[in-house]
Amino acid sequence: MNEFIVIFIGMALINNIVLVRYLGLCPFFGVSKKLGPALSMGMATTFVMFIASVATWPINQYVLIPFDVKYMEIVVFILVIASLVQMIELFIKRTSATLYNALGIYLALITTNCAVFYLTLWNSLYDYSFLESIASSLGAGIGFTLALILMSGIRERLDIADCPRSMRGLPIAFITAMMLSLALLGFGGML
Amino acid sequence: MLIVIILTGIGLVCAVIIYLVNAVVPRKVQGLEKTEEIASILPGINCGACGRPDCFAYAQTLTKDANVVTKSPCTFVMLDNERLERLEKALGVTLDASQMSRKALIHCNGNSEVIYNYSGVETCKAAAQLLSGYKKCPYACLGLRDCLEVCPQDAISIKPENGVAVIDPERCTGCGLCLAECSQNLIELVPVGTKIAFLCNYAPLRDIPGREKCDAGCTHCRKCYKSCEDEAIVWNKERAIPEFDIEKCTRCGKCIEACEQNTLAEIKIAAEAPVLSHVGTMPGGHCAVPER
Repeated sequence: MNEFIVIFIGMALINNIVLVRYLGLCPFFGVSKKLGPALSMGMATTFVMFIASVATWPINQYVLIPFDVKYMEIVVFILVIASLVQMIELFIKRTSATLYNALGIYLALITTNCAVFYLTLWNSLYDYSFLESIASSLGAGIGFTLALILMSGIRERLDIADCPRSMRGLPIAFITAMMLSLALLGFGGML
Repeated sequence: MLIVIILTGIGLVCAVIIYLVNAVVPRKVQGLEKTEEIASILPGINCGACGRPDCFAYAQTLTKDANVVTKSPCTFVMLDNERLERLEKALGVTLDASQMSRKALIHCNGNSEVIYNYSGVETCKAAAQLLSGYKKCPYACLGLRDCLEVCPQDAISIKPENGVAVIDPERCTGCGLCLAECSQNLIELVPVGTKIAFLCNYAPLRDIPGREKCDAGCTHCRKCYKSCEDEAIVWNKERAIPEFDIEKCTRCGKCIEACEQNTLAEIKIAAEAPVLSHVGTMPGGHCAVPER
């Protein structure tokens, strides 16, 4: 049990996928203007990360490693994740309108997101067991959501703040992201 | 060889699963058909220019309120008649193609004093490198024919009395080639039928009135603001220029009469049909009011 918590905290804070590893910056700046969409995006990403590590773990363990073709993991993972997310999107679109409104529109955007992809590569690099890779995927998803919510909360306030004209909008957002990233780097070496 | 087989196998399995899901799962959700139809017409590149995360979210907004289509930048980008027709059919609104068309307008009224004799390369781009041009106002039209040369319609000419470029709306097709060419960033595409335009791009510091820079520039006197009886002019305190609320503006022309500098000018950009509200605002703070 203990190692799952270590992996979870490690992925959520110490190796936070956005602020420490600098991945998934496109949704980080694109969807962090308002709190609501940021939360939906975070939830959708957590979901896709979970699905992706559940799906890629058996493929890695029972296909790629036995046949000694681990060098092709990038292509195989992209193929699997993309088609899986498309399938889920199709399924949600047909069955639940509320769920589709909450998550569906973001699913297509994160199909080939580098953050999701990095997570699966990370899982295979460290040879995580099935449960460990689930823990790391949830940790990474929560970390991504945390970064997005923090950023959107700050950006909502930045909109009404009195900041120099040339810095308004994206420039001040980049500086904020830098400071957030510095703050999270303080967790480094905690575990 | 082995990896080819593995890849093909995984791909096939994925394809079969998606096919099965597509075939087996019934369409329980009603009401998304229209949204899907609209989404299939939209460009589908998820650019985000409309302010929604992707094209499908924009299609959802359109299903709820079809009138958004006239205000969205997407419609202006998608100037493809066949697509617009399909969109009209799907939404049940009529989009007049002439309403969509826009013409270029130069936001400078001229007459800024010449502060030094420029004798370099005869292009605006080169002249703009030296102290933002040889005119006193750093935003003035330099009149060195950059836009004129790029115009395929010969719609631009230089006014001889003040050396400022003017665009002939009869000839302009709204291609927008001159927009990128203008080193002073003065040209804006305004809707056909624009009636009132603010012909100054001077983004002022509040303590330096425009009059010192140019005798046709905005002096920030607020007379237009005070003259407006419909409360359609909002005073932008930061830039000290008027901004129009095009919903309230009745196009009475009182602000044009009030303007002593002739900065606010009545211009008619030929139009048969009245134009819906789309107003462009550029970084300098442009205002143009389309005719109702």
